[in-house]
This record gives sequence, structure tokens and C-alpha cells, in this order.
Amino acid sequence: MEKTLFDKYGGFSTVSKVVLTLYDRLLEDDDVGPFFDDVDLPRLIDHQTKFVSSLMGGPASFTDDHIERAHRGMQIEDHQFDRLKEIVAEVLTDFDVEDPDIAAILGEFEARRALLIETPNDN
Amino acid sequence: MTIEAINEQLLRAIGVGVALLDLDDLSFSFRNDTFNEWFGEPSSATRLNDIFPDLDTGTLRQEMNGSGRMSTEASFKLRRRTMTVALEFNLAQNAQDNIAVLVCQNITRIKELESMIDSYSMMVERNTHEIKREKEQVEKLLLNMMPRAAYEEYKTFGVVSPRLFEPVSVLALDFIEFDSQFTQHEAGVIVSELSDIYSAFDRIGAQFSCQRIRTHGDSYVAVSGVPDPNEDHAAAIANSGVRFLRYLERRNDSHPIKWKARIGVATGPVIGSVVGNQNYIYDVFGPTVAAALHHRDQAAKMTMATDQAFADLVAGRFDGAPSSDGSHVLIRDMAASA
Repeated sequence: MEKTLFDKYGGFSTVSKVVLTLYDRLLEDDDVGPFFDDVDLPRLIDHQTKFVSSLMGGPASFTDDHIERAHRGMQIEDHQFDRLKEIVAEVLTDFDVEDPDIAAILGEFEARRALLIETPNDN
Repeated sequence: MTIEAINEQLLRAIGVGVALLDLDDLSFSFRNDTFNEWFGEPSSATRLNDIFPDLDTGTLRQEMNGSGRMSTEASFKLRRRTMTVALEFNLAQNAQDNIAVLVCQNITRIKELESMIDSYSMMVERNTHEIKREKEQVEKLLLNMMPRAAYEEYKTFGVVSPRLFEPVSVLALDFIEFDSQFTQHEAGVIVSELSDIYSAFDRIGAQFSCQRIRTHGDSYVAVSGVPDPNEDHAAAIANSGVRFLRYLERRNDSHPIKWKARIGVATGPVIGSVVGNQNYIYDVFGPTVAAALHHRDQAAKMTMATDQAFADLVAGRFDGAPSSDGSHVLIRDMAASA
């Protein structure tokens, strides 16, 4: 069986550091940070942990339906999605994740853009 | 620079929030830089509860008058981040005034890590649970395909060695005019009927330590003595066969589709093994299986045919009557032949 990125980069030991770094950068960022203004800490950390684990093929899996429901009504715009992608790429680069792997992760991420961004006709 | 001045500078610069609290009016007489960074620039009007609204000041005063110390935790927002600090109040020693030293340790990272570990362990627990459930399903499926002893051998060694079982008895059953049933009824109905009937056969067989080995369309093959030896294998198979026919008779009385079966039984050795390494099937082979199939072909509808060797093994418990042409023996239970 092919090794997941989660296993390749050291499992939870690495993922925990990626999660906390991502958490710091997202909160500091003025484009995406405001989405987390009113979210309490355990929920936010839970969200980030599952997000990073699922991106890297760890023990979390979400159906597209689940992702769509979790982001419904948040009015996320394309430039904010792009910024989130940039932040994810920066953090992964800092943790020495190889470029093809970052590209694969961002590709998965990009494939779900439509789930997060609501078009005016959705509501 | 005096020692006092150096001390004050150090106190201001450390990464721990330090403040002096006047216990009379709960105002602050000193706050270091870290404390101000977290809770804003000082104002003479700022009171303890302005910064920590959830803190019970009654309890604080009580503890200060008693043990002179109190520990608690408080959370606040610093920009978007939820910060958590461990607060420790200590009554100042040898002070003229009623003052407490408040030390705030930043334990935000610890709380964040705790949350993350909680989240992660829940994920892992859920996954472990799912894997366990899937494993049980796989085990259940494999146990449907092979006897438990063969499954245990497969699990331990990855293969199941062919094994000779002797003596055993084999039962082979099929249905008369099965093809015409298919033309008269929908395929789905026939499959559902077969599923119902085979399940009943499995239950009856299990009562007599017989195990279904395979089905192929209308062909049903069961064995007794594999993999666990059964001294009374022939009677077990005869009992099952008699009851299979009785079950069908009763079922036919109340169901629109009438099933007429014929059964062949034989005794002797068989080889049992898992066949294939991609598609695992546990099967039994040998002349005994061939003999059972041969006797099945000889049997008229709703009868059980065999040879003299099998009939001798169950003599006294089952009636064995030679067929009119002498080619086989028909097995019936004593009550039916009386």
C-alpha cells in the first residue's frame, strides 16, 4: 500500500507542529483570520487538526457533503480561499514538505473550492 | 543603577505577567510590560474584575485572609487568539499595606495542545472502532467461506494446507426442473427463494454438525466430519438430508413455488483446502464427493440415494431400501418407512 504523506512526514508528531503553526498564521492573517473571530479554541483546534490530518491522508476523512455543510453561510470569497492556500503552502514549505507533495495537497484543496465558496444562487 | 532599579527592570521584561494588587479596592499599584501587553495599558480606574470578570473576588479575599494564596485560571481574547493564563495570588509578606502579588503564566499553548490531542485521539478512536468493525465483517465473510479451523490457519500462516479428512460423509442436493423455474419466475424471486431455502438448510445442518461447503446455482453440498471429526458423520448427514426433504414438503404446502429436490449421500475420505490465492474458496475434493454427486443423479425427486456402505453405517436408525434396478439404496427415516 502506498505510504500517505501523513506517514511520510512523521505522523502526528509533525502534524501537531503543522497544526499549531497554521493556527498561529491563520489567526494573524487579516484576510482569513476574521473567520475565526467568534470560534472557541477547542472547536478551532479541532477544525485545524482534522483539516491538516485529512490533507495529509491521516486518520480523518471528510465527505464533500460534510465540508460543504461546515462552511455553509460563511461567505468565503475567492481571494480568501487563495490566501488560505498560500498560507498552507508556506507552512508546508517551512516543514520541508517536498514541492510535488505540496502541489498534490493544494490540488486536493483546490478541487474543493466550490464547496467552500457559495455562489449567489446557492441560497 | 541601583539593585532595586535592576530588579524592577527585570520584573518588567520577563515573559510572565506580574502585578501588585491592592486587596482593599482591587486596584493595581504595579503591572509589568507583559501584563500590560495582555490586558492593556494601565489606568488608575482599572479594577481586577475589569480584567477578569469571571473571577470570584469574595473567594479571593477569603483565601487571602486565610492561607494567603490562591490559584486559578482565566481566559481572554488577545486579538483573535483565545489566551489562557494560570493566575497565582500571594499575599505580600511583611507589607504594611494589604497587597497581593499576582503572577500570570501563559498556558495558552498547553491548552491548544490539550485541545489538539483531544481532537486527534477522538479521530484515532473513531478510526480504530471503524477498523475493528471492518475486521469483524471480513472475519464474518471469511468464516462463511471456510471453517473456523481453516480460517485460524489462514490468519496465522497466510495459507491453508490441504488436509485429508477421514472418514466423513458428504451430501449433495439439487432441484428437479430448476431451469424451468427460472423461465416461469423472475430471476430475483428465484434467488430470494434459494436464499431462504439454503439458509434453512444451513440451520438444519448446523443442528447435526454438518457444514455447508458450497452452493452453485441449485447445487448444495454439505459435509460432516470436516474440519472437526464426527464419529457419527453418516447419521448426521442422513438426519440433515431427511429433514431437508421434510422442510421442503412443508414449505411447498404454503408457498406458490414448489421445490422438488433430490439428494445423494456418500461416505469416505475427502481432501479439504482453500483453493486459489486471489479468490479464496474452501472446498472438499475426492471420490466421496464424486460419489455423492453420482447418487444425487440417481435419486428420484424428493428422495435420498446412496450406496450400501453408507446405508450400513446408518442401519437401525434409517431405513435403507435398494432401488428397483439395484443401482443404489434409498435412505428414509424409520417413521416414514413404517
